[in-house]
Amino acid sequence: MIEAERLDLSFDGTHLVLQGIDLHVKTGEFVALAGPSGCGKTTLLNLCAGLVDLPAPQRLRVAGEPPALGSQRVAYMLARDSLFPWLSALDNAAFGLKVRGLPVPDARERAAAMLKRVGLGGFEDKLPKALSHGMRQRVALARTFAMPSPLLLMDEPFGALDAQTKLQLQDLLLQLCQESERTVLFVTHDLSEAVALADRVVVMSSRPGHIVADVPVPLPRPRSIRALQTSDDFHHTYARVWKHLEEGWVQHEG
Amino acid sequence: MKAESVRTLLQHSVFVGLVLGLWEWGARAGVIDPSFMGSPLGIIGFTLENLGNARLWGDLGYTLLAVFSSFLIGSAAAVATGLAFVTWPKLETFCEPYIAAMNVLPRIALVPLFILWFGLGVGSKIALGVSLTFFIVLSTTVAGIRGVSQDHVTLTRTLGASSRQMFFWVTLPGAVPVLFSGLRLGLIYALLGVVGAEVIASERGLGQQLAYLGSTFNVNGVWSLLFDLALIGVLIMKLMNWLERRLLHWQ
Repeated sequence: MIEAERLDLSFDGTHLVLQGIDLHVKTGEFVALAGPSGCGKTTLLNLCAGLVDLPAPQRLRVAGEPPALGSQRVAYMLARDSLFPWLSALDNAAFGLKVRGLPVPDARERAAAMLKRVGLGGFEDKLPKALSHGMRQRVALARTFAMPSPLLLMDEPFGALDAQTKLQLQDLLLQLCQESERTVLFVTHDLSEAVALADRVVVMSSRPGHIVADVPVPLPRPRSIRALQTSDDFHHTYARVWKHLEEGWVQHEG
Repeated sequence: MKAESVRTLLQHSVFVGLVLGLWEWGARAGVIDPSFMGSPLGIIGFTLENLGNARLWGDLGYTLLAVFSSFLIGSAAAVATGLAFVTWPKLETFCEPYIAAMNVLPRIALVPLFILWFGLGVGSKIALGVSLTFFIVLSTTVAGIRGVSQDHVTLTRTLGASSRQMFFWVTLPGAVPVLFSGLRLGLIYALLGVVGAEVIASERGLGQQLAYLGSTFNVNGVWSLLFDLALIGVLIMKLMNWLERRLLHWQ
């Protein structure tokens, strides 16, 4: 679904932001991009979304094509909920479908079903200001999953939530992904989140951004985030990812 | 009504009553010269009489026509220019010194030119109103559009929105809160410009009536018209508040 070969990126022509990125994400895979802030993981995600122009686009293929802004095959989700405060929960959830040209009644019907699925049945007419952080991020999930795009690009979607809400939404995300068979590229700086959600954790390091490790997560699916907290495999994988991350730092400082 | 608001109302009634009472007493006792200051009973008398005068309503209509015309023309032109500036930042950079110069120019000084160009009628009043409204609304339009949430823009871009969708679904509603504060000020400035131009030279309008009453030493009449103008200003504000509540209920 995503094929990156020896990908370099520089904004000013002299300093590399990304260097020699090799990333292959198979259809149906859930891949987490983890690393310290400034390591270029969000830039890599934005490249896939077509938000950043690539001088050598042949080095990156997203769903078989060069990355293109607005591709129907891609749905993008941001760290903050980015709901429109003037739209109801239902119209927010339907927004992606409407922009992509679905007739309004169909878009609202699909959005209403998704809202129910994320546990917000009965909140259709509420404005974002009347919803809690967790509920707003649920609406954002509904907006993302209402679109049939096979590839989801997520930029720390739960970064701004408290720990309890975060666990609930991670569980919800896993269920939604399993139900609708999506491919996910998920940026996070939270290692336990990366291990809990992903099939593979790709660890990045900074200056210039490069991949230091690609760690498979040997945890069976379906997973329950709560049950994972006591799983030995979870903690072993977490420790491995952490070690790679530290190596990245040592490399960088040495 | 709550006890709190009853008390506030009572306090203000007592205060206004006291001021007016003192004023009336002063005018009668010869402490204040009523030919320069007027007297409350004289003002009330003039107002009641003036309310039955067709001239007042004609002048009011003339002034309001000029105010709303200059507001509509000025703010429409300002929103269009603001959009052009945001779309082509180079145009904004180029125009900036001229805009800044025109913005600091005391606009009332343009009245002699406007009278030459548009005559003593409503045209010159609208011209001055527009020249005031335009710059205020222009700066808030630019600020409002620049202040639209970048998250909203990014998200909508990744969805592949057309520029029409981006404008009507994201940019415009996102800019409305800031834009609205500019429109509110713009309307008040339109009133200022129109009445100002009428005071200087006009055939009709409340400002013209005010200038006439002043030059004929009808002080009670001047006071009465000042209260009329204040009342119009308050009603305009109420209208804008009502509109804002309707448009921005989501805030």
